[in-house]
Amino acid sequence: MILDCLGKRCPLPIIELAKALSQQPIGFKLTLLSDDPASQPDLIAWARMTGNSVETGESNTFQITKLTD
Amino acid sequence: MALPHIFEVTWPDPAKLGTDPKSAALLLNEARETFASHLGIRSDEIHFLGEPNLGFHLGISGLLFDEKKLIYSNIDRMEVFAIAENRPSKMLEVDPNGQLYFSDLSKDDVLALQLCNRETGVIQSGRPENIAGLFVDATASGTRIPLPKNWSTALWDSTSWAGPSGLGIFAVSKSANWKNPLPHLDGRINPGPTSLALIVASALAIDSWVADEKNLAAKISKINSDIRNYISTNIPDSDLAPGGANHLISASFLYVNAEQLVTKLADKGYPVDSGSACSSTNMQPSHVLAALGVLTQGNIRLTIHHATTFEEVKEFLEVLSQTISELRG
Repeated sequence: MILDCLGKRCPLPIIELAKALSQQPIGFKLTLLSDDPASQPDLIAWARMTGNSVETGESNTFQITKLTD
Repeated sequence: MALPHIFEVTWPDPAKLGTDPKSAALLLNEARETFASHLGIRSDEIHFLGEPNLGFHLGISGLLFDEKKLIYSNIDRMEVFAIAENRPSKMLEVDPNGQLYFSDLSKDDVLALQLCNRETGVIQSGRPENIAGLFVDATASGTRIPLPKNWSTALWDSTSWAGPSGLGIFAVSKSANWKNPLPHLDGRINPGPTSLALIVASALAIDSWVADEKNLAAKISKINSDIRNYISTNIPDSDLAPGGANHLISASFLYVNAEQLVTKLADKGYPVDSGSACSSTNMQPSHVLAALGVLTQGNIRLTIHHATTFEEVKEFLEVLSQTISELRG
C-alpha cells in the first residue's frame, strides 16, 4: 500500500499514517510519501513512541511496518 | 526606580561633559559593577550590546584566526551555525540526553559552548581544557551557571534575568587571545551607542532576580516535576524533551497541530512558544528537537517564571489536556 501525503504539512502525514494503520493487522507494511521537512525526524520519534518500525528511503519515501496495535 | 524616571536620568550621554552627563556616567559605572559581580567577571571586561546576537559573531569569530577550527554542536543557536558556514569547523552531535563529549579537542580548536539550551533546558556538564579558545553562550543560563574557568569570550542576554529585551552583555577575558572581527579604527568593541536606559533597567532586574532565585529555586524545581509528571501520566502520546535547567520544559504531542494548539492556549490566557515547523518563521522544525530525537510536531515550550504559582500551573495543565483532546478529535 502507498500512502501519498506529498504536499501535506505536519501533523497531517502522521495523522493519516495512524488512520491507515489502525484498520490493519500486525505485520502490515506500507510506503509513505511525504515531503514535509518534519516527517523524517517525526516518523522516527513516532516509531519509538508507538512501538512501530520506520525506514527512511530515497526521495521522500518511508517504509512503515506495523508492529503493535 | 520607575521606568519614566529611568528614561529621564539616562537621557544624557555619559561620555559628554556637564552635570547630567556625569550623573549618567555614574549610573553606567554602577550598572557595570552590578553585572560584573553577578556574572563573575571584571567590570572592564564588559561590553554592552544593543544587538545581543551580535555577540555570537564577536565572541566566536574574534577567536578564529590562523586557521583555528570552530567546534560546535547540533543544538547550538542558528547564529552559531551561520558563523560555522564558511570556515574550518566541526559539528558535534549530542547524545539522547543532549550531552556532548569533548574527548578529541586539540589546541587549535575553538569551542562554542552552550551552557544551557533555551528550548529544552539541557545543561552541558563537560568542561574541556587545553583548547585555543572558549566562547560561552550563556544567553539562556543567565546567572544560573558560573563561567567555566578557561573562558575566552562570553555572551549573556538581559531577558534571562527578566530584564528588558534588546540588551546583551558581551565579555572578553583579559587573558583571551581575541581580535575584533568587526571593522574598527580603535580599541572599542561595542559599535554603540547602547541605550543607557536599558542598561540601568537590566541592572535593576538582575539584582532583584538573583535575590529571588535563591528563594524560589525549590518552588520552580517542584513545578517542573509536577508538569513533567502530569504530562507523562495524563496526556497520552506525549514526548517530553530531556531537560536540565528547571525553568524550561519542552513537550511534544502526537497528532496535534502546534499552531492550532498555541493559538487556542493563547486565547485561553496561556501564551506559550513552540518548536514545531508550522509555528516557525522558516517552516522548519526545531533543529534542537530533531537533534535530540524528540517529536517535533505539536510542540510547546514552557518557561516557569519567578511569579508562577502552583495554582496557575494546575489550571494550565487541565486546559492543556483538554485542548489537546479537542484538537485530536
